[in-house]
Amino acid sequence: MNLIRAILLLIIFFTPVKANTIYNLIKIPNLEIYEINTKNKLKYFYAVRPFRLGTQKNIVCSNPNKKDLEIKYKIIHKNLSRYSYDYLRKINLKYIVMCKNLSISELYTAGIPDNVMKTLILDIKFNENYFERVIHHEVFHVMHLQHKKVFNEEDWIKFNNSNFKYAECSTCTKNIGLEQYKETKGFFTEYSKSTASEDMAEVYSHMIFLKKKEINQIRKSDPILDNKISYIENKIKKIDSSFTF
Amino acid sequence: MIKKIKASKSEKFIFVFLILLGITTFCTYYIVKNKCLFVKNIDPKNITFKKPNNIAVLNAPCGNVIIELYPNISPNAVQRFVTLIRSNAYENIAFHRVIENKLIQAGDLEFGKKGNLDYGKIGTGKSGLGTIKSEIENNFNYTKGSVGLARTFKNDTEDSQFFIILQDEPLFEGEYTPVGRVLYGLEVLKKIKYERRSEYILRPDFINSFKMLN
Repeated sequence: MNLIRAILLLIIFFTPVKANTIYNLIKIPNLEIYEINTKNKLKYFYAVRPFRLGTQKNIVCSNPNKKDLEIKYKIIHKNLSRYSYDYLRKINLKYIVMCKNLSISELYTAGIPDNVMKTLILDIKFNENYFERVIHHEVFHVMHLQHKKVFNEEDWIKFNNSNFKYAECSTCTKNIGLEQYKETKGFFTEYSKSTASEDMAEVYSHMIFLKKKEINQIRKSDPILDNKISYIENKIKKIDSSFTF
Repeated sequence: MIKKIKASKSEKFIFVFLILLGITTFCTYYIVKNKCLFVKNIDPKNITFKKPNNIAVLNAPCGNVIIELYPNISPNAVQRFVTLIRSNAYENIAFHRVIENKLIQAGDLEFGKKGNLDYGKIGTGKSGLGTIKSEIENNFNYTKGSVGLARTFKNDTEDSQFFIILQDEPLFEGEYTPVGRVLYGLEVLKKIKYERRSEYILRPDFINSFKMLN
């Protein structure tokens, strides 16, 4: 045991300090730059080795393979390119971390937003069918965290029928389907019914992802979603008046 | 009568060898000890600057570092920097954080003063002038020699500490408030004392003087 300690001490003693700029900026280890010269100044990183985060190290993500990364980067970049530098600055998003099999406390998740660190971690192997829309869903969470007071959840809840109740938390329900309802009845997806915050993110991501014509049709046929869409539109105008859906 | 004994050839050879060894050791000791020996010290008086009012001269142990300040990019930060330079606040302040060939940080006026170093707190000191807002909106390429204001984990906490980078750091753009760029003297900065195993320096080098050219 002492020998192992001595060897470890020797390794530490003879290991020169190497400052890791990415780690210093966003406190996520094992990342390397994928692309930093983008028009809206988003900086893309990827995991070169698995990493663990959080005080209890309960956030875990693995390194993706190069081919997956290449394909998914193009999709992520295409979707995030619709946001201007100004918009991203206002919502405090600057760094995108790409990894695979992202989980919190062993529950798989599409993304982890962190407005304080200006970072969005994305699981590039998350549900292929909804991958593009989910990117915008996660962008909304960054914005929501940054502008908590703008998006009032109590006001939002009032849009729903009085007998409707959200789940206690986004992971407290097994109904997490992301497929768009044919008959919306106030909610775009099953996952919308989990929490007010997830509902807002689902509305936002559909507003970004669907064509204007489709959104207008939904607005005409579903008064609850019409109110929710108007709410999101108005609040985003407050954050960035130049933003258009 | 004392009989003279002639030195043999091999004894002469050993004698010459010992003398040469002595000279070599003596020279090597002084050359190696003087880390500044091959560093060119630049005198700003011999240079014509386009904007002499924006030139600051930092004198470190191995010579002068000539910095051009950019008030058009970060007006408030440069104003703060110049205020501190003009009040000689940076004199005898430690280069407390040095990463070999990467970054040099100094400017802790509270815990980094020569004779009053506080190793437990160095890097957390204040100037007494309060913090200023980050100026990170303008484009600025953090290339080798760029000078920026250090801050805590949060924006708008810049005060007196500054850093100079010794390699390109594109990720610093939009993160740290730039104040200028080194025009001459990067070699001087590379000679500032660093530790291989720690970013923070025990018995660090100090800023001798930091003055505006005009």
